[in-house]
Amino acid sequence: MDVTIKKEGTKTMVTLQGRLDTTNADLFQQDIAELMQDEHPNIEFDCTDMEYTSSQGLRLFLMLQKRVNAKKGSLVLRHMRPQVKEVFDITGFSNIFKIED
Amino acid sequence: MVKKLFNPIKDKSGEIIEFLMSSPDIPADSSIQFKIRLSIEETVENVVNYAYQDGVGWMEVSTDLDDKGLQLTITLKDAGTPFNPLEREDPDLTLPAEERPIGGLGIFLCKQFMDKVSYSYENGCNVLTLQKNIA
Repeated sequence: MDVTIKKEGTKTMVTLQGRLDTTNADLFQQDIAELMQDEHPNIEFDCTDMEYTSSQGLRLFLMLQKRVNAKKGSLVLRHMRPQVKEVFDITGFSNIFKIED
Repeated sequence: MVKKLFNPIKDKSGEIIEFLMSSPDIPADSSIQFKIRLSIEETVENVVNYAYQDGVGWMEVSTDLDDKGLQLTITLKDAGTPFNPLEREDPDLTLPAEERPIGGLGIFLCKQFMDKVSYSYENGCNVLTLQKNIA
């Protein structure tokens, strides 16, 4: 999976491309760790080209959301594909995350 | 039907998943493939990471279609510590982010995406069977 992180003013834009799974979750964890450094998190993910996530990806998203909540920041996941959205729905993550088009 | 023994399995999750996903028994439909891939990943990961305390051990995996081509069966077998992943309690999906534990969703997702998941301990081996109707 390819992860691109860009700062746009106070906002951090993250673009995900490909499959987020057991073979690359460690690398994604490093990216998440970087995002978790932010004292005033205002993060937007573009999930247009995110093809897949397993529970390995979910746990990292949850870690980030917990951190963002603790810092009273903002995290939005945009343009999620239906199959990925289904994984978020089934696990109740759709109620935890702000998912928008 | 395809079957393969992986030994050792340490750090082989990716290879084992791709072996199963490349089986001719796996349907071409991408939406079903998504569910099968996820279910395979969650269960293979469990075995590779937790079945053997010293991390060294084997795993035999197979796919099979019934005669009518309507039901896919995926079987994972290992000789690690006896462990029934299906005994784990389902996660509480109503909790807010702060109270949700990190992890514990893999087997739950597998159970949701497959039509039947069963476990048995036979001749010193853990046998986990995933079944999906693909009609």
